[in-house]
Amino acid sequence: MSAYLISMATFVGFFMILALALNLQWGMTGMVNFGIAGFYALGAYTSGLLSVKLGWPVGITIAMSCVTGLIAGGLVALLSMRLREDYLAIVTLGFGEIVRLIALNEDQITEGPRGLKIDARPFADMFDRETYPLVYLGLVAAAVAVVFVIVECIRRSPMGRTLRAIREDDVVAEVLGKNVLRHRVQVFALGGAFMGLAGALYAHYVQNISPEVFMPMVAIFIWMSVIVGGAGNNWGLLLGAGVVMTILEGSRFMGDFIDFLDAEQLSAIRIIVIGVLLIAILRVRPRGLIPEPKFSFATSTTQQERQPSTENAK
Amino acid sequence: MTRKITRRSALITGGAIAAAGVFAPNIARAADPINVGSLTPNTGGGGPFGPKITSAHKRVVELVNSQGGVLGTTINLFQENSETNPETAVRAADKLINVNKVVGILGTWSSSVTLGIMPKCQEAGVIQMCTSSSADIPVRDEKGYVFNFQALSPVWGRAIARLALRRGFKTFNLMALNNDFTRSMMDGFTEVVGKDKLLQDSFYYNGGQSSYRSEVTQLIEKNPEAVFIPSYVTDFTSVYKEIFRQGYEGQVISVSISTGAKFKEAIGDAANGIIHGLPVPPIKSPAYAEYVTETGLEPTDGVQHPFGTAGRDQMSVLLLAIEKSGSTDADKVSKAIWDITTGDGKETVYNVTDGLKAIRAGKEINYSGASSSVEFDKEGMVLGRDFQLAEIKDGKDVVIERLEF
Repeated sequence: MSAYLISMATFVGFFMILALALNLQWGMTGMVNFGIAGFYALGAYTSGLLSVKLGWPVGITIAMSCVTGLIAGGLVALLSMRLREDYLAIVTLGFGEIVRLIALNEDQITEGPRGLKIDARPFADMFDRETYPLVYLGLVAAAVAVVFVIVECIRRSPMGRTLRAIREDDVVAEVLGKNVLRHRVQVFALGGAFMGLAGALYAHYVQNISPEVFMPMVAIFIWMSVIVGGAGNNWGLLLGAGVVMTILEGSRFMGDFIDFLDAEQLSAIRIIVIGVLLIAILRVRPRGLIPEPKFSFATSTTQQERQPSTENAK
Repeated sequence: MTRKITRRSALITGGAIAAAGVFAPNIARAADPINVGSLTPNTGGGGPFGPKITSAHKRVVELVNSQGGVLGTTINLFQENSETNPETAVRAADKLINVNKVVGILGTWSSSVTLGIMPKCQEAGVIQMCTSSSADIPVRDEKGYVFNFQALSPVWGRAIARLALRRGFKTFNLMALNNDFTRSMMDGFTEVVGKDKLLQDSFYYNGGQSSYRSEVTQLIEKNPEAVFIPSYVTDFTSVYKEIFRQGYEGQVISVSISTGAKFKEAIGDAANGIIHGLPVPPIKSPAYAEYVTETGLEPTDGVQHPFGTAGRDQMSVLLLAIEKSGSTDADKVSKAIWDITTGDGKETVYNVTDGLKAIRAGKEINYSGASSSVEFDKEGMVLGRDFQLAEIKDGKDVVIERLEF
């Protein structure tokens, strides 16, 4: 049992990194990204291919995944230069599909639909088979912590306020002298890097990746995590990722108790239950489990340093 | 006031979900029987087949339990849905392996799912039994724990090609859905008909498109006598509509999994004339007759439940092998699987009841199943499945030819 919980916690970790990245892009900056699966795949395949085909050490390949995610994110954001937000949604959805189709069709490189088998795992030699899953969970947890600290620092910083301004009204932000495009590209690239990191960690964990893994459904799970947790609030979506995974996986245990239904009915009911629970959560908590705190000077973390400027304003 | 209550109830709901996730498995683990996992595609691309496989698993387990189980203990069956998706299947397999402590995971259908869960199964020492056709399965099975009850897809391609040649077609064009199963089938087909009979290079198409217009145009451009399209039902329906719309008059050949009831319903009369083939149960075998009775199907001369029959054989073979080896250790069980399925001069049994009796009487057995005679090669791949080519006439499949082994 504990092995199962460790494994699920590891999967929650991947979800958390992706959700934190999406929150940075959408929750804070208002940039819609439906191409999460594409960045995830890019990270997974970058790290997987570099270690399988070129034999690079895992530490370096994982870092390279962040770099490719960073570059891809930046380029996709540049496309948004002349596009309104809803068009960005379509561009990112297209990006996700393009990555998946390249992985599917360039089979000389990616092994195509057969899937890529990855043997390399970080620190695998140093631990035995029993403790290794725990080590990997620790690694993923550390990655979550690092990503969390970075996005939380951004949220509290002046940059975080600028991002929220862009989210609420980019014209106003621009009028106030903020470089909207630069911020958008930075945020999207950074989010892409985090998604690449999650992909790399996923690839070395499951050790077998194929294009079918990176269907747009992955993006939907992450969107659910962010929406259920509370968009804009990093703590909330850590909880959101946990809740979504608990609903997805916890509903499996239904079948072990209900024996009057056959497997086909159970499968259908399980998927209905997942939908109903998510609707129920959003019905009682429309802004998510832990909503983003409303911005006000009284509760602002930078209250003290702000004090003089408010006086000046008077 | 209302708001407070809502918040509280939300917390309670959340807590209950979390508690269910944490405590449920402990309750499930309380008993100490032999645990077996069934991981079938009950929804998604394999949706028409998964439920039949898993209900066959369940019938065998219930039968054996009613007769006292194996090794003196009952069998506990855990059924999970792979959703025909390797991403979900890995987590379902994780639950079966780590929570339910299963001896084997039976019934995976799509090759990507079988391959996707393989690293976890190999590491944990769990037997896999599947009906997947990817030629990569034996290559990646390093420990000899994987037993495949389906012919590998090059075999499908070769068999369909031989039957097509016998029908007298001289020129062909091929396009295949871009997945491992259908791609290697295309290679097998080309190998038999010879490259010179193809009017142009074969190509792959990507599934899930809203239109296949350009692909179909390319396929029939040079007007070959026959086209072969290895595919899944989801995409073949759209592909075939396009072929019909463009007025192709040659012969369309595909695989039977693409031309089932759902396809015929969607296409109607236009489906008449399509030729399709797939590996089939040996319909003269006593095991197949028993399967038909067990499922309450009307006996016909056509083939029913090509995958459900494999489900019956998977579970029967696993339970017989556990009894034979006297253990649930993967190495011992996998060795016993060869003992009870393959080799001459043994007593042939057609069901698990007779098999268990014979093993307990100290006899050597060779299980012959409802899906095939269940003989494995050194890599655990099934040998010699019957193969059948059928034509759709008046909305029904009419058997043209059957290759028997």
